[in-house]
Amino acid sequence: MSTWYDMNVILIQTTLTTLLLALSIQVPLRFGVFSFAGVGAFGIGGYTAAIAMVRFEWSTWPAVALGALLAGAITLLVGLVVQRLTGLYMGMATIAFTLIVSVLAVNGGDWTGGAMGLYGALGEISIPQLAVVVLVVVGLLQLTELSSMGRRVDAVRDDPELANAVGVNVVLYRRMSFLVSGLIGGLAGAMTTLLRTTITPAEVNFHLVIVSLTAIVVGGSRSWVGALIGSIIFVWLPTWIAFVAEWEKVAYGFIVAAAAIYLPNGVLGVIKDGWHRFRTRDERARAAAVAEEA
Amino acid sequence: MQDVLNAATLGSIYLLFALGMALVWGTIGILNFAHGATFMFSAFIGHLVTQRVELPMLVIVAIAVAVGAAMSALTQLLAFQPILRRAKSQHAAEMRILIGGIGIAAIPLAIAQRETRSSPFGFQSTYSAEVMEIFGLRITTTGMIIVLCGLGIGIGLTVWLRQSRRGLALRAIGVDPETTAGMGVNRPALAFGTMAVAGGLAGLAGALLTFQLGAIAPETGDQLLIKAFAIIVLGGLGSMAGTVLGAYILAGAESFVLEMNWGTWVDAVSFGLIFLILLVRPQGLLGRKEVRRT
Amino acid sequence: MISAWTRKSLLAGLATATALGMAACGGGATGSGDGGIADTITIAQVQDQTGAVAYAGVGAKEGAELAIEEINEQGFLGDGVTIELEEYDTAGEIERASSEMNKAMADQNVSAILGPTQSQQAATVAPLVERMKVPTVFTQAGAEGVVINDWTFRATPPMETYYEPVLDQLEAEGAKDIAILYNATFPTFALLGEDDIPAMTEERGMDIVQSLPVQMTTQDFASQAQQIADEDPDALIMLLIAPQSVTALGQLEDAGYDGAIRATSVQAAGNISEAGDDANGLIYPVPYSTAMDTESSVAFTEAFRKKFDKEPNPYNADGYDAMWWIARAIEASGDSSREGIREGLVQIAEEGYDGAMGEVTFEGNDARVEGVLVEWQNGKERLVE
Repeated sequence: MSTWYDMNVILIQTTLTTLLLALSIQVPLRFGVFSFAGVGAFGIGGYTAAIAMVRFEWSTWPAVALGALLAGAITLLVGLVVQRLTGLYMGMATIAFTLIVSVLAVNGGDWTGGAMGLYGALGEISIPQLAVVVLVVVGLLQLTELSSMGRRVDAVRDDPELANAVGVNVVLYRRMSFLVSGLIGGLAGAMTTLLRTTITPAEVNFHLVIVSLTAIVVGGSRSWVGALIGSIIFVWLPTWIAFVAEWEKVAYGFIVAAAAIYLPNGVLGVIKDGWHRFRTRDERARAAAVAEEA
Repeated sequence: MQDVLNAATLGSIYLLFALGMALVWGTIGILNFAHGATFMFSAFIGHLVTQRVELPMLVIVAIAVAVGAAMSALTQLLAFQPILRRAKSQHAAEMRILIGGIGIAAIPLAIAQRETRSSPFGFQSTYSAEVMEIFGLRITTTGMIIVLCGLGIGIGLTVWLRQSRRGLALRAIGVDPETTAGMGVNRPALAFGTMAVAGGLAGLAGALLTFQLGAIAPETGDQLLIKAFAIIVLGGLGSMAGTVLGAYILAGAESFVLEMNWGTWVDAVSFGLIFLILLVRPQGLLGRKEVRRT
Repeated sequence: MISAWTRKSLLAGLATATALGMAACGGGATGSGDGGIADTITIAQVQDQTGAVAYAGVGAKEGAELAIEEINEQGFLGDGVTIELEEYDTAGEIERASSEMNKAMADQNVSAILGPTQSQQAATVAPLVERMKVPTVFTQAGAEGVVINDWTFRATPPMETYYEPVLDQLEAEGAKDIAILYNATFPTFALLGEDDIPAMTEERGMDIVQSLPVQMTTQDFASQAQQIADEDPDALIMLLIAPQSVTALGQLEDAGYDGAIRATSVQAAGNISEAGDDANGLIYPVPYSTAMDTESSVAFTEAFRKKFDKEPNPYNADGYDAMWWIARAIEASGDSSREGIREGLVQIAEEGYDGAMGEVTFEGNDARVEGVLVEWQNGKERLVE
């Protein structure tokens, strides 16, 4: 067991940080906001934490906190500016924001380390500590999925007019989704950076948007559980399909395409359907019996 | 003046690539993220063929167009069509079409990377570009062909969509798919045809760009994809004229930045511009107003 | 509380690991006091085998395979002692590099590692290597932040250390006005284009009349080519990645620029062949070329052709030299344990060696070579006198 843990400690780490990044994209989607600003927040959080540690010799946790807060604040500001946009127009504007963050990092001179980025940000974050942070985030998000709060969020997404009519402040909810997305994205960026000790401008790119979006859609887009499933799948997939060796990327393509075609609600949807069937099997059997009798 | 001509050539490169993507997205509502891979792989097949036998330009272009059309048609048949059939509405399918495209794109990319080890590839052709000088302005024959093709096809498609019956049907699908189907338009057939045409355009762009640039790499398609996405959104979804305009605006902005020798700021300036334009015109330059309720 | 718990579990993990390692050693080692040379020595290659930069990793693998064949056949480490190569694919991703490195380091049978070729991957794993105490020899990975501690070594000299001859040759030709066109988002080129080359030109009294940075995503060079043709410098130093170079060469020609062009070792390995005639006369410095006439280089070139039936490239030379360095290290210290190999690597680095790249010397743990200037002419490299 401990050998397995030693061999895979980085994969466990990556699963948790990928989950955070995926959540930062998923939260606005659940509020009906097509924003990818979470990836930009990832960059801001990562760079802020690294600069705080490397240039100002801050210790790990204050650096992480600063990264998350700054990313949250900036993302909220972006949200206030772009809130008029809808659908993929919003998507484009927030992708533009993300790419601009990356360009600023390239041109930041000594502060950001230019094209090479920053290295040597040796944070001290253990896996249990990382797990606690993720648990807190997930716990808070669970509150937004439960009962009345969950229904209000669903209304903001699916029928904003109805939501307004029943007294839900749609605009406020959507603004808050930017703040939350920025905080979680910044947290993901800061912790990822300090765990791997480096950050480069090349990482904060469109590819990262695609990776998180894929994880969410394949896992299940309506709940953090889906994001968790997606993160586990995509972080561990290379290990599971190692037998295809150099055809790994081809297999990856097939798996993603097949999931998009056959799993309309992601893996989580399949699990939920299965669970639902399992729970209602007695009822269905009774119904069938009744139908037969009649 | 030479700068304007260079910017026009660059704009035409972007336009050629973006046209096919704009056509399917603006009409049948499919945002095809495999477009870049189709583009690249068509040129790659052209490269493989010309490694065995040296061919004239027209033949290579024909091969690339055929490969592109076939790939795109297959994508529609094997992935997008099944996704649409399983989805309750076009809206629900949007995200899965996006992810399906991403998955499919990974396959040709991995194959080409493996075969070329990511070295750049080009064509062995009997054609060689000549430099023409007109009123003291230099342009290569390839550059001229690209400008003419880009503008010609761009304007041609705009007019065709506006004036022909098929074009009307396509535009109608873009606005209200259900009603259009009720009016007797065979949606799947039309979608299949549109995807094939778009694939052919991707193949055309692949061949011409490879001639223009001398060689492309397997990753070239991905880099153009994000630019095309930006161009279409900037121009306004559903407007071909907007796409033409968007391509030249993006190229103009990039060329201006390069002329000023702020090379590393290119993305920040061009995406910053897109960001600002969207703030002023949330539906893009020539886009129709969104008919959604919020 | 939490950190205490971690430390304890880490220690426990290490203890088991050590026990396992000793058990493995006991299997067949000579058993002389502190380690000795085991019968089978496993070297892990943690480099890109797939993805956008696979050429460097796949190239190094071929070179390393050739070296291993020679080492095993010669019985270089003693009778019956064989080296085995175990591949880990980093797939062009930083995350994958650290997780695959971690797997390789956790495997106690792995005695040493050939580390990632991409600077950013290498910089990420460099601190891990020290923490886990596994000697790691990087190839390529030319940026700062890679060779940073006692356990990190680099077999490929960073580009800026053998770029000087380019400027010497330009000076000899009487070039005065220099233009630089460089990819500023590629770390090695940013360093060369912004710091090293300006310093080198200043020393020689040359002027940089133009410095044009571009991005990784720049694909069309018509505008830059035009600016360069208008300025018409004596020479252009072009620091671009492979596909960009092909396009830039063609468009420079079209724009009417006919001055000298100097490039980088990225153009080696046939990466410039798609530019056709436009690339003729292009000169660039390489740490290794098939045109090299040093005895040890020629030996490598011929052995490689014989084994693989194709022309070797600098990435093949990387893997070959790195693997021989490790073998020499084991022989020198007489100890194939991780610590033994580390000591051996340091010892060999002090002496230097003759390898595929000719005479290799070291600055600390970091390789240095003279390098050669080659000229591309109709699909072949030839030495520039």
